[in-house]
Amino acid sequence: MLLNVENLSLSLKKDGSYLKILDDVSFQVEKGETLGIVGESGCGKSMTALSIMRLLPDKAKLEGKVNLEKKEITALSKKQLEKIRGNQISMIFQDPLTSLNPLHSVGKQIGEALYLHTELSKIERKQRVVHLLKEVGLPRADEIVNEYPHQLSGGMRQRVMIAIAMACNPRLLICDEPTTALDVTVQAQILDLMNKLKQMNDMGIIMITHDLGVVAEVCDRVIVMYAGKVVEQGMAEELFANPKHPYTIGLMQSIPKLGERKNQLGSIPGTVPSPKNMPLGCRFADRCNKAMDICRGKQPSTVEVGPNHTAACWLYEEKGVGRYDASRGERSEATFHH
Amino acid sequence: MDAIQYISKRLLLMIPILFGISVLTFFISHTIPGDPARLILGPKADPVIIKELQEKMGLNDPVYVQYGRYVSGILQGDLGNSTYTQQAVVNDLKRYFPATLELTLFSMIITVLVGIPFGIISANKKDKIPDQITRFAALIGVAMPAFWLGIILLLFFYLQLGVLPGAGRLDTWVSPPAHITGMYTIDALLTGNWPVFQSAFIHLILPGITQAAVTIGMITRMTRSSMLEVLRSDYVRTAYAKGGSQNRVLYGHALQNGMMPILTLIGMTFGHSLGGSVLVESVFSWPGLGKYAVNAITYLDFPAVMGVTLLIAVLFIFVNLIIDIFYQVIDPRLKYE
Repeated sequence: MLLNVENLSLSLKKDGSYLKILDDVSFQVEKGETLGIVGESGCGKSMTALSIMRLLPDKAKLEGKVNLEKKEITALSKKQLEKIRGNQISMIFQDPLTSLNPLHSVGKQIGEALYLHTELSKIERKQRVVHLLKEVGLPRADEIVNEYPHQLSGGMRQRVMIAIAMACNPRLLICDEPTTALDVTVQAQILDLMNKLKQMNDMGIIMITHDLGVVAEVCDRVIVMYAGKVVEQGMAEELFANPKHPYTIGLMQSIPKLGERKNQLGSIPGTVPSPKNMPLGCRFADRCNKAMDICRGKQPSTVEVGPNHTAACWLYEEKGVGRYDASRGERSEATFHH
Repeated sequence: MDAIQYISKRLLLMIPILFGISVLTFFISHTIPGDPARLILGPKADPVIIKELQEKMGLNDPVYVQYGRYVSGILQGDLGNSTYTQQAVVNDLKRYFPATLELTLFSMIITVLVGIPFGIISANKKDKIPDQITRFAALIGVAMPAFWLGIILLLFFYLQLGVLPGAGRLDTWVSPPAHITGMYTIDALLTGNWPVFQSAFIHLILPGITQAAVTIGMITRMTRSSMLEVLRSDYVRTAYAKGGSQNRVLYGHALQNGMMPILTLIGMTFGHSLGGSVLVESVFSWPGLGKYAVNAITYLDFPAVMGVTLLIAVLFIFVNLIIDIFYQVIDPRLKYE
């Protein structure tokens, strides 16, 4: 197992009080696997990524465990984290223009990762940078080394970001909406490139996105998040063919399909509840068309709903498909006792 | 456009600006009431002699004739004679200006070395104790009158402790170094004259700190607000994600991006300090341009007033040109637009 996230909870301080942003999130990433994390904005996808990188604000309270191979990331000191970031775990962000330093040349920005994590000499670093630029499919690599982000197009900038992330051959690559700010044609190229790099380096990828098209294209496995909790988890094909959680079903119905003309696209009414007043029971209950009385009163636990497929929903728990604890048993608030 | 073209264009643009400044100061100083001839000769002078002197100084000619005469003088490097010191204004400026420039440079160095790191610390520790302390200190620095701080420093370090000198540019038993730039510390270094350098340097400390107090406060506050904005940006997060240490991110990525407004303010305060150091110069008996200018104004010494004004204007433009060139060096997106 490459990455193991166990019972991760995150609270951020806002206006004097702590708000729980992530609640008991658990998942794994295997070597050579792409895990998709999907959900609406504000459901905690990006915060999950930043928690793994430990790139959180000072006043954040992080509970639970994150292990990368045998290293427990949640127990590392600042200095130890600096050695891991950009080296064993890299991250690509949504907007490549604002994520690159406008005042540093492309070569300097990629070279910095090499400078921080390798013993390469200046000349070797420069050679490696040019090699990386070619690897991410940039033409005229020799010239682009000396150019600045503002001279490049959006797709080229994202390729530069990927080159920075790939500089030290990371074990895990976290992509936070890497194609959202790009043209559709460029999106496909970038996704292809990431698939290619994954195979070349045998690394794991976490792909955070709200675009189910991206998930279908690159992800092996998917977790669906809602309001800071994992509500469904399964292999991508299984999840698309057989979504279980009403929220996942709602998400699937909101994708327009070619050839089908509907007057109205499926949409989920309402909005994500704010961390300030989280409902006591299932967090999706207020927007769910199948909600029952029990949904509003108690939180559902995670149950197995298919092969390698789990969901946290009362619908399946009552049918008795069998209980399954993704988080090793003890869940004090998930009380389901007959 | 390349650098040389850009600089020469900017230098050419100085000409109309200087023309405007010279016209303005000349006409203002020549239309205010007050007769330099009377001032020179004193209240009991014979009217005939006054008339003679007015004629000799050209005060009866129309203003534009006087201006023409003045400009043709400037073009030959002649700023006229001071009516108060009876010296050529050019020579007076050569004598007093290096002292002011030295003091201003020294206080700007203190400002930059103290103000920018304080601002960065303040922004990085926003709302924590280091930030509160820095902000409070910056506020005091800005709010405290320079002459008052100067007197307090004098009382403490000169009178009480006796560790630092209180007046002038050198100890009385030290003779000034050979005149190269007119700035004693630099001239002493250039000639390798160590004792003179020491003496000149310790004389700079108290007036330098006094003058820097206000500007440190301003630069700290500007750095703080500029850095706060930069630290929120995505590329700072990228730099941390690459594995950069805090210092590396702060000084290697964030500061450079937050430098523009700080540079602008440095340029402004530099120009301002050059012209406005008269209070500090008075407290520390610093023989500089500020005191010279105030005397010139008190005695309606028009040539001296004009000379000082023009010199400061030229320097102000020059400093801002240097700042503009710095912008281009820092930000590749500008490239001599």
